[in-house]
Amino acid sequence: MTSSFSRSWLSLAGLLPVAIATTLFILFLQAVPVIAAGRTLRQVWQWVPGLGVDLSFVIDGLSLTFALLISGIGALVMLYSARYLAGHVHQARFSLLLTSFMLAMLGLVLSDNLLTLFVFWELTTITSYLLIGFDHSAKKARRSALQALLVTGVGGLALLAAIILIGTTAGTFELSELRAMPAILTGSTLYLPILVLVLLAAFTKSAQMPFHFWLPNAMAAPTPVSAYLHSATMVKAGIYLLARMHPSLSGTDVWLWTLTIAGAVTTVFASIMAVRQTDLKLALAYTTLMALGALTLLLGNSTGYAITAAVTFLIVHSLYKAALFLVIGIVDHGTGTREVDRLSGLVRAMPVTAAAAAVAALSMAGFPPFLGFIGKELKYAGALAVASEPVLVAGAVLLSSALMFAVAGIVALRPFWGKAGDPPKPPKEGPWAMLLGPVVLAGLGAFFGIMPSVIATTLVNPTVTAILAEPGEAKPLLLWAGINLPLLLSIATFVLGAFLYALHRPLRRGLIWITQRTPSLDGGWDGFLAGVMAVCRWQTQLLQTGILRRYLFLTFATAFVAMAGTLVAKDAIDLPNLVPDVLPKHGMLFVLIFLGLALTVITQSRIAAIAGLGVVGIGIAMLFILFSAPDVAITQLLVETLIVVLFAAAALRLPHLPRGGSGWRFWDAMLALGLGVTTTAILLMVTASPVDRELTGFFEGASWPEAFGRNIVNVILVDFRALDTFGEIAVVLVAAIGAYALLKGTPERQKK
Amino acid sequence: MGADLTILLPEIFLSLCAMAALIFAVYTTKDEVAPLLVWGTAAVFVALALWVALSGNVTRTAFGGMFVDDAFARFAKVTILLSAAAILVMSKDYMVKRDLLRFEYPVLIALAVVGMMIMVSAGDLMMLYMGLELQSLALYVVASLRRDSVKSTEAGLKYFVLGALSSGLLLYGASLTYGFAGTTSFAGIISVATDGNISVGLLFGLVFLTAGLAFKVSAAPFHMWTPDVYEGSPTPVTAFFATAPKVAAMALFARVVHDAFGGVVGDWQQILAFLAVISMFLGAIAAIGQRDIKRLMAYSSIAHMGFALVGLSAGTAQGVEAMLIYMAIYVTMNVGTFAFILTMEQDGRHITDIGGLNMLSAREPAKALAMLVLFFSLAGVPPLLGFFGKYGVLLAAVDAGLGWLAVAGAIASVIGAFYYLRIVFFMYFGDPEARGTDVAVAPVQGAFLIASAAVMVLGIINLFGVEALAASAAIALVN
Amino acid sequence: MEQLLSVLIGALVAGSVFLMLAGHLLRFLFGLILLSNAANLTIFLAGGLTPGAPPLISEGAEGPTGTVANALPQALVLTAIVIGFGLFAFALILAFRAYQTLGTLDTDAMRVAEPEEAQ
Repeated sequence: MTSSFSRSWLSLAGLLPVAIATTLFILFLQAVPVIAAGRTLRQVWQWVPGLGVDLSFVIDGLSLTFALLISGIGALVMLYSARYLAGHVHQARFSLLLTSFMLAMLGLVLSDNLLTLFVFWELTTITSYLLIGFDHSAKKARRSALQALLVTGVGGLALLAAIILIGTTAGTFELSELRAMPAILTGSTLYLPILVLVLLAAFTKSAQMPFHFWLPNAMAAPTPVSAYLHSATMVKAGIYLLARMHPSLSGTDVWLWTLTIAGAVTTVFASIMAVRQTDLKLALAYTTLMALGALTLLLGNSTGYAITAAVTFLIVHSLYKAALFLVIGIVDHGTGTREVDRLSGLVRAMPVTAAAAAVAALSMAGFPPFLGFIGKELKYAGALAVASEPVLVAGAVLLSSALMFAVAGIVALRPFWGKAGDPPKPPKEGPWAMLLGPVVLAGLGAFFGIMPSVIATTLVNPTVTAILAEPGEAKPLLLWAGINLPLLLSIATFVLGAFLYALHRPLRRGLIWITQRTPSLDGGWDGFLAGVMAVCRWQTQLLQTGILRRYLFLTFATAFVAMAGTLVAKDAIDLPNLVPDVLPKHGMLFVLIFLGLALTVITQSRIAAIAGLGVVGIGIAMLFILFSAPDVAITQLLVETLIVVLFAAAALRLPHLPRGGSGWRFWDAMLALGLGVTTTAILLMVTASPVDRELTGFFEGASWPEAFGRNIVNVILVDFRALDTFGEIAVVLVAAIGAYALLKGTPERQKK
Repeated sequence: MGADLTILLPEIFLSLCAMAALIFAVYTTKDEVAPLLVWGTAAVFVALALWVALSGNVTRTAFGGMFVDDAFARFAKVTILLSAAAILVMSKDYMVKRDLLRFEYPVLIALAVVGMMIMVSAGDLMMLYMGLELQSLALYVVASLRRDSVKSTEAGLKYFVLGALSSGLLLYGASLTYGFAGTTSFAGIISVATDGNISVGLLFGLVFLTAGLAFKVSAAPFHMWTPDVYEGSPTPVTAFFATAPKVAAMALFARVVHDAFGGVVGDWQQILAFLAVISMFLGAIAAIGQRDIKRLMAYSSIAHMGFALVGLSAGTAQGVEAMLIYMAIYVTMNVGTFAFILTMEQDGRHITDIGGLNMLSAREPAKALAMLVLFFSLAGVPPLLGFFGKYGVLLAAVDAGLGWLAVAGAIASVIGAFYYLRIVFFMYFGDPEARGTDVAVAPVQGAFLIASAAVMVLGIINLFGVEALAASAAIALVN
Repeated sequence: MEQLLSVLIGALVAGSVFLMLAGHLLRFLFGLILLSNAANLTIFLAGGLTPGAPPLISEGAEGPTGTVANALPQALVLTAIVIGFGLFAFALILAFRAYQTLGTLDTDAMRVAEPEEAQ
């Protein structure tokens, strides 16, 4: 990233994205009058009709505000990047990724179908992953990229689960249809699971506590990416989701308190952590967290003040934060460092940058007449109107705003003013392509502050209407609203902020001392990953031992559980009269078979085992004869003889049987016994039920007239079930080929 | 009889081809003609696929309902034939290079495919058993084909032992079913088990049939053979295992539960849902710690079969349709992925360690991109085709009132996504110092890789119309 | 009679399971043969037992006279026996090859895929 500014930066790879973003921005601008007039635009394309997936897009106040921010800031950031990355080997890849991200993000905010929204949601996660890991030779960048992917990826899948539940509950995936049924979700029994899943998605994406840790790490990305994805757009996708689902999910105590607490904790924690940072970019990352917390906090409510405050603050924050990130990129590029202690007095070498930074910082600190001031006033008004704990919430906002004030000073004032610092490179003003972004964004913050009506009616009002799903709730944006409680709180903010700024060095030392001694979630992350890996490996070793005996045991055990379970569950153990009516000759046959079986199981002699098998086989053949199956008996005898002969021939070349008997065998015996008993139980049921001879009746009747056969079994095999016989032949053929393939001339190759 | 045989003509033709090939090979120069046989067999597969695909849209039965030729069977057969042809063609170079190609290989594959075609057309338990045995026996041999490798012998043995066991379970299930239904034909069984009434005995038959079939599709907890056999078998054989037999077994599964037990959906729905859930989770979790890409693909296939079973457990035509689409997509992804795995080597030696993918993007950007697409698709990342596969089965589950199953599926897919993405990460952001696979010159494999990745991307426009075919196949089965 | 046959099949299943779990390939094969015998007997039993009346049609008759044994399960058992034999023949060769390559038939020792060190 430190490649020097190349002269020929006007490449296609750099400028095409700028053109795309600008075109889109202009297109969206044209929708402004329509939306301001209170209408919404909707467009539907059928995509996969068989699966019921349509592409439906909607433009209302909320999506238009986001679309304008995405395409507008996008255009400026892309122009900036064209210069920032000029000559980089992977510039084309970077442009492609950034443009893909922009389109995905636009798709996300414009989707009217929850499923397409999910698709775009995941696309933003992936492009973000690839952009964070762009500098992939750095190990830290790789770790951060993976972390961001996993945290937001989990959230994404939670979103999918939520969407499935919403679809089941409401019967539709269309957001516009969902909004038309206000209580369908809040009144449902699935409300709590849906809410938890949606919040999981929103909180991971928008880095709310306790999922916040990925965002500061994501600063490993190139600065334009941080400015665009990780402050102005992507991290706001979670906020967008909360705003989008507001009409369907809000209004309950769970919603109110969860959002209030998560938002308040995040905003206070993040603003304190921002003061701790010495890296300018990291400090800004924490202020982004703080802003996201404030937005979550405000969205917990349903009052006009809170929502107007949220919308205004959303716009304000995107403008000044993107500007400041871009400024820091210029400083980094121009001086070679982002460490606050090494930077000072840059205004002399970088006057335009300094001016842009100052304007943006004033907006951030909430000075009049900047839009930040209006945003802050509304935030106080919104906080005082919350339904939960107005005093505590206002206190949290006050503390975080004061800290913001101090951070604005640290980030945008200290590096530029005072005597010259000690940067690695002599400071140098950035080129115009990189300056345009910060200047325009900071300037807009000032312009909207002086003329708030420009955005009030065109953007803020329709957005508030979209979030609350009813018109006329939006509160006015005023630079001067008279002397009221918010104004007094603003003044208190400035005083406290100035005080904190003056004390920020000792404060930082204290914070560093504390954070070094407390475990962090980020540190826990590696442990968590290692733990997951360990669990996976442990279960694999438990189940996948590679020992065939265990596999067999598990398979038999499953079969036993399935059988016994069904027997018990269906209450089917019904033993009929167990007094057998056995003829003596049958009885002797059974004794013979049992003996053969016992010999095979117990013996350690190969020959004895084979003899035992032979006895069992011949016994069964005799059973077939006794019960009128001469053909089967003959085949059985033949096959049994072949088996014994083959075995005997092979056994001479095979090793002796080892002794059985170890601890395991007890359980083997129990399992074998269990399977045997259940088998018998089931068979007793079979024999208790009458036999259906309908099909046999057909064969008996048709054997002679149709097939001219007197042996019904043969007729069945050869004529009516010829296919089986064909298959039998094929099976034997395959066995023969297999035997040939395995045996053919390789005994000399006995390598290990 | 004559009419019956015409219905079986593709199967008979393929068997005759296999015999002819065998005789030809035995009477000529044997292994030297093997490459020719491979091409010939693949060509026959493709020709048969066309034949089957274009043979009208009617349902015909032969031998008193033992053999069914309907849209469902044709869909499965075309998928089986085409994937088998693809695997044959792309494994030829690999096998020739390592002196593994024997003339038995294409012949055995052809006979296995005959078995699969009989399986998906089975209208009778004995037919089912026979087709399955024909297929399995051929696969047992193919698994232990590499005679000089300890791993391969071991893999073949384990596959045989566990496979024989599952065949035993299946046969036992078939005999119980026969005992309680008095018939082995599916049409007869469904007339006994109607309107949700099933005797406890028949339920046992169903349980055992399900267990045997679960083994064949490698659904947990009958999956244990899969990782060892995938790793131990020669890679082309693993690739084959991962594709055509899975489609055949899954189609057979669908046929048994719908054609024979379609009247008692409630009874098997729970069993299938259970198999689906543990397969999805076990496959996803166990894959995370793996270092060997073939083992990883084994766990991946377990998880994927879990998802296909989600569709099946819906018990509706929509579910079957989703399952068929899922299987078609799954097979395509696996063909592409294995095409790449076949080219992995260092100094001419085949490697399967995941480390071989390290920084692939730097050495072979086109292949790395194709693999990225395939892995994302396997993970079910939208908007790639793999996502639609998952979406379809989950939607079918939701519509069938199995919302909990769909949610479990969504969660399992998150966990599953982890390991695919980890590989992508290796490919793009790996350790630049580590040594990866050598740059391979493999036009055939490369073509399959790129083509299947392209399908994953282009398919999102309209699924290539597969959806309509799957829909008519599903209706043929479920009604 | 049917009850006794049920008990016999149960015993065959128990014996074969015990043999299969012994961790030795030869014993597994013994178990497999017993198991296929058990399955064949199950089909046979499920069709009903009829002593002394083979399913034959006497000369000049159109169909069997009186009640003869159920022919269908007999046909099925025949199919199963033949397939079982094919399977067995192959299994024996496989065991033979495995012994040549691996030098053992003890399945616990066959862990190339999951070597012990990994534990």
